[in-house]
Amino acid sequence: MPDLVTTFEQNAIAAAAVVWRCERSPLAVRQAVERAAGDARGIVLSDAEFLPPPLFAGLRGLAGVIPRPEDEQLATADVGVSEAFAGVASTGSVCIAMGRPLAAATSLLMPLHIALLAVERIVERPRDLFDPECLKGEGLRRNLVFITGPSATADMGPLVLGVHGPHRLQILLLE
Amino acid sequence: MADSNLKTAPMDTPRAVANKSDREHLLRAIRMALAVQSPAVRLNTQTFNTNRYRATALLPDYENLKDEARRIKEKSIANLPELVQTLKSSVRARGGHVCVANTAEDACRYILDVCRWRGAKLVVKGKSITSEEIHLNPVLEADGIEVVESDLAEFILQVADEQPSHIIAPAVHYSRERITALFQRKFRTKAPLDSGEALTKFARDLLREKFLYADVGITGANLLAADTGTLMQVESEGNIRLASFLPPVHIAIAGVEKIVGTRHEMAPFLELLAASGTGQGLAAYTSFLSPPLDDPPFALPLKALKPREFHLVLVDNGRMTMREDSVFRETLYCIRCSACLNSCANFQTVGGHAFGGETYSGGIGGAWEAGTGKLENARFSELCTGCSRCVNQCPVRIDIPWLNENLADRLNKKAEPSQLSSLLGAASGTAPYDRSGSASKIFFANYHYFAKWGSRFAGASNAVMGTTQGRHLMERWLGVDQRRTLAPFPKETLVQAAAKLEAKAGKSPAAKVILFADVFTNYGFVARGLATLKILRALGADVIVSEVLPEGRAALSQGMIATAKNHARRAAAELEPYVQGGRDVVVVEPSSLAMFRREFEHLLDKKMLFQILRASTFEAVEYIVKLLAKSGREPRKVFDAASSPVGQNLFFHAHCQQKTIGCASPTEALLREVGFDVTTSNVECCGMAGSFGYKKDFYELSMAVGADLFSQAAKREKDVGPRALIASGTSCTEQLQAGLKRPVMHPVELLAAILKI
Repeated sequence: MPDLVTTFEQNAIAAAAVVWRCERSPLAVRQAVERAAGDARGIVLSDAEFLPPPLFAGLRGLAGVIPRPEDEQLATADVGVSEAFAGVASTGSVCIAMGRPLAAATSLLMPLHIALLAVERIVERPRDLFDPECLKGEGLRRNLVFITGPSATADMGPLVLGVHGPHRLQILLLE
Repeated sequence: MADSNLKTAPMDTPRAVANKSDREHLLRAIRMALAVQSPAVRLNTQTFNTNRYRATALLPDYENLKDEARRIKEKSIANLPELVQTLKSSVRARGGHVCVANTAEDACRYILDVCRWRGAKLVVKGKSITSEEIHLNPVLEADGIEVVESDLAEFILQVADEQPSHIIAPAVHYSRERITALFQRKFRTKAPLDSGEALTKFARDLLREKFLYADVGITGANLLAADTGTLMQVESEGNIRLASFLPPVHIAIAGVEKIVGTRHEMAPFLELLAASGTGQGLAAYTSFLSPPLDDPPFALPLKALKPREFHLVLVDNGRMTMREDSVFRETLYCIRCSACLNSCANFQTVGGHAFGGETYSGGIGGAWEAGTGKLENARFSELCTGCSRCVNQCPVRIDIPWLNENLADRLNKKAEPSQLSSLLGAASGTAPYDRSGSASKIFFANYHYFAKWGSRFAGASNAVMGTTQGRHLMERWLGVDQRRTLAPFPKETLVQAAAKLEAKAGKSPAAKVILFADVFTNYGFVARGLATLKILRALGADVIVSEVLPEGRAALSQGMIATAKNHARRAAAELEPYVQGGRDVVVVEPSSLAMFRREFEHLLDKKMLFQILRASTFEAVEYIVKLLAKSGREPRKVFDAASSPVGQNLFFHAHCQQKTIGCASPTEALLREVGFDVTTSNVECCGMAGSFGYKKDFYELSMAVGADLFSQAAKREKDVGPRALIASGTSCTEQLQAGLKRPVMHPVELLAAILKI
């Protein structure tokens, strides 16, 4: 039996996401986001809830980060970075809590979405989040979305990745 | 046009055939779909279907999830009035608004009022089939509001002005090439748009602009939780998330049947819906939202900042009446996954513009169209052949063929009986209640009666059926297509032939069996019955043959439920004492067997008797395998493939209902075990499906469905050399013979030919 992290990784890749494993230090996270974002400019960060604040604080200095974006800037930014409060191994999904400032926007509006996920927050199957014991009771948020790969459509004939939502999903697994 | 004088018959448009309340529209729709839409529909639905089989196989608790989902839906529909009240309070407690609309008009009026009140000029919609059902767009547009469909399939339909052809993939009938041509024409662009990516980018750029400036976002919901006012929304493109999040006003439209008690009760549907629908682990986005959302709506310059507002429109539109209907209540359990569409051979061939109405399509579509509109709108449900391939695919275990048989039954009652149908009905003992069906239906429903007389004068009947004139008359009066061959009547029926055989049962037989003389084996394929008899006796069983009796399949398939009940009761009463006396019932024809195993649950009043018969009826080869195992004999010592008259390489096609009740695999396994090289077809159904393909109205469709099966056999032979054709069903045999112009053998005939003992 592969462990949850490996299963997660395999299924996320199968769902057309890109997965990076990353050490849990501000520097490593910063480098990983920089690498994942590539040439993209116009990076929007949403707040962290579970990850230690220094990890996110380090990102604010990245070139291209828009400090307090106006909605107009959100509409044209290239990259959204957000924290996933959970991951699902069997489907390779990341779960984002909605309602926090910029959580919806960063996971939806920009062509590239980078999700940060702490490996200990990976559960086995989607419905595990509905268990009151799951993630110390933090599993079932009032507003949440399971994101599995980039947005996609088969309506235009062959499968196309990248429709109304992000065209690419990159997941940083914080070990 | 180069030749402006050339007059061609105008091709029907999808809109022109959306309403199929009469037969003519249905037949025109089938012709249109076969001519234009079939290749795209086939490719797309079969891809969905393959992915669905793969995704559901990956769920370790798939069957349990289905049970759990079914229980939750049963409970929710039972408590629906209370759940509506709870949901209303939950949404209102959070500052949202709720409208329970009794009719489609009420729902549209409420939505229009909200839009007017908010001064909306631009409404952007995520995919909502319920909004199609209530015909919302024209109502808003008539008021000068711009309505933009943002789901790419719905966008295509809006551009083309067509109705959906599929429940979750509404433009499933469009190939990439046809979308390119459509966009170039409608948007007057010379851009090549020659790939899925180019088309997607074109639509996405246009729609993103609309999203950013929309005043109102309208979405549907896959499920609603009464306790928290939570919407579950499943999608792949992101348009539903955008429509729920960007505009200041979010209106969600949902049928009342989508409500479950608690958010926890949504859990089993998460993976089940994704696997059954698009064949994925999860779709790209599964959202659980309890609106209104906390964060402020999107505000661009020149766009006034308004507080968020949420409206939930719960649509009844006939659903509460369906809830009171003992048969159609089950429809309300449907979670709109489309597994029944994708697993249906007819649907795969024509799609929902032929096999569908104004909004809903496929196997479950007729019940929805009838329930939310008029019964006549469900006439297209005649394309459900009762093959039952959808039954095990439905995530909430709806018996979809039974719904369609009931629709047919109710439609039959509305027909004006002709003199011929009254005459045939009375002669054949059709239940008086069923005699308003057409002469064609009465003929097929009571084939046992016509076959009895036909075989009594077999020589004359066969001679008549063999002439052009005879076939022409059969087509004209009974709707039997003259291109079809009915199996000739035998000189001696199974019952007659078996009576001449000496039944030597030992003192302690290996088993006690009654071979059910089904109508098709008895009056058509006697050799199969005799082969079964020979093998079972060789294996030491004490076998007697029943009286020939219809068990109700034929009547049921014509929607004559009262007659089917009469037949079922009689067959059950005939078999009951034998079963009580310790005999197992062996059945050659799979469609008969499936009646005992499945449909008798609906047809017999005595539920105990159904349970008993279900447990003691067996398909012929299934029973042979059971006897071999019981006696500990090695199959290879009983059968020897080396002595096969047709060689060792087989192409085996199992009957659709045989697969549903799980008794196709024993045949495949035994044939392999005794030394055959077996290729099995993997089509859902051969297209003949009992009487369906014999009917003049459906001959072309039936042969188009069969094309997949024929080409599978042909391809396999091209790759690895000739194969003998083996099929378990009567009508599958006819279909394969018609398509491949070669004889087809039943597995028991082959086994009897290689019997060593």
